[in-house]
Amino acid sequence: MPEQFHPGTGAQSDVEISLREVSKRYPASDADAVRPLSIDIARGEFLVLVGPSGCGKTTTLRMINRLVEPSGGEIWVDGKNTAHVDPDELRRHIGYVIQQVGLLPHLSIGENVGLVPKMLDWSKERIRQRVDELLDLVGLDPDTYRSRYPKQLSGGQQQRVGVARALAADPPVMLMDEPFGAIDPITRGHLQDEFLKLQARIRKTIVFVTHDIDEALRLGDRIAIFDEDARLAQLDTPLAILTSPADEFVRSFIGDGAAIRRLSLLRVGDLPAVPETSTGTGIEVDPGETVSAVLEKILAAGLDSAVVRGRGSLTVQDMLLATAARDESAVAS
Amino acid sequence: MTRALSLRDNATAPAPAEAAPRSSFVPPLVAGLLVAGVLVYIQVADLDAIEARSLAFGELLVRLGEHVRLVIVSTLVVVALGVPLGILLSRPAAGPLQPPVLAVANAGQAIPSIGILVLLALLYDVGFAMAVISLVVYALLPVLRNTMVGLRHVDRSIIDAARGMGMGSRRILFTVELPLAVPVMLAGIRVALILNVGVATLATYTDAGGLGDLIERGIVFYRMPILLSGCLLTIALALLVDWLAGVAETRLRPRGL
Repeated sequence: MPEQFHPGTGAQSDVEISLREVSKRYPASDADAVRPLSIDIARGEFLVLVGPSGCGKTTTLRMINRLVEPSGGEIWVDGKNTAHVDPDELRRHIGYVIQQVGLLPHLSIGENVGLVPKMLDWSKERIRQRVDELLDLVGLDPDTYRSRYPKQLSGGQQQRVGVARALAADPPVMLMDEPFGAIDPITRGHLQDEFLKLQARIRKTIVFVTHDIDEALRLGDRIAIFDEDARLAQLDTPLAILTSPADEFVRSFIGDGAAIRRLSLLRVGDLPAVPETSTGTGIEVDPGETVSAVLEKILAAGLDSAVVRGRGSLTVQDMLLATAARDESAVAS
Repeated sequence: MTRALSLRDNATAPAPAEAAPRSSFVPPLVAGLLVAGVLVYIQVADLDAIEARSLAFGELLVRLGEHVRLVIVSTLVVVALGVPLGILLSRPAAGPLQPPVLAVANAGQAIPSIGILVLLALLYDVGFAMAVISLVVYALLPVLRNTMVGLRHVDRSIIDAARGMGMGSRRILFTVELPLAVPVMLAGIRVALILNVGVATLATYTDAGGLGDLIERGIVFYRMPILLSGCLLTIALALLVDWLAGVAETRLRPRGL
């Protein structure tokens, strides 16, 4: 499949990051670490790069803030060709979060968060306010944590600080390299949820690298799946990827249970409901709720159907069949 | 004297600062007892004229002063040379220069100080400067190498994060690498300091004084009291200096490490 080029989701001004035939080949290697790749990332979009190790996802990410220099192609961020911007200046305006967090151990949490504003010559007072605001935003009480040192925090707390630090100068773009990869599964789940809520408020343009397809499906507005040979196998929404995997690699990378996973991505409002005939037979749910959440509610209530507000009623069977039907129609098409 | 000093680079990533046990008060106590013992002995012992002259209190103070001055000046020079050199050599651009410079520093430590001392005295002159030069040659290696090792062992992911935040290499050096390397660098400086206390006893052969004067005079005149006093005072000084260096190491280590 040729590399895809998705013309931006709207006018040029809606594209925050544009990769144009970007490639990377290391001198000692005879294969591209990143094959010529073109993706437009819309302002406020959450794009996840996912794939097995060695697929070039991290290299792609690091080319955006020029920690790695591309061998070919261009990267445009906020309407500027990054090749023509001073790399340090560029990076101060792009948030960067890595798996190892990388807090400076000899600086307090507050000083860590204030690093980029300090480089941008903000006043002391403004930095102090911003630090407190950010600690609050990531769920750490400023009075408790401001003057602690990184080693006094748990891994999950450290990564919250890592996120706060990346957000410090309010950059429009965030690059995140497996930020939750080293955190225990339970805390990771919490952090993912919180991060989604945070993103709903701050609407950053995010490029997020992970090797965990579940994390990708959960977080991404769109997902780019790469295979071991650094080939972009599919670039689409989570639902579309689950519904119609582009090829055998994507299918195997998603693994088993695509239909079940789809339940947590589909919204009941998207399913054909039977126009309400008799009211009061089931619990009422919002069209925006996911099928899996609604199923959960129905089963917990010991019922077999729900009423989708303004749409009609859906039985458990309707939901399961509708999900499966979409699957078949998608595969058939 | 060879504590933590193998001659091979990276053979001894010095156990970061050998976690100084909460500054024990034993070493200064022992040092105090040694000094007190020597002073009491000088008072009560039956000393002949040579001994009495060499061990007069004023004389001892002068020797001690010379010794301390040698140690301080040579350690300052070692730090002033070793730290910047170590930083330069740890920059990626200086990669190819590392092996030869380390080889020279290794050789400096392998050659006995007394050899350099005598050589310098024969070729140039005697005196304080020559003594300092030979001390510096001998004690440069631990400072140089610990600076390099300390910088090299800074967690790469911290540097990556710092670069990703838009720190330039100079800023990374001063706000990230050097502070994080401080404990290892301090350990190297401490080693240099202690080496210098010991080797400075040889300064007497280049006419630069120090406690070595007592030892040498004790040997030449075959006067055990002088010899013994010189030895014990040197030991007391070494214990005290090491203890002070340990305290400084704990104090100067950046918080949070």
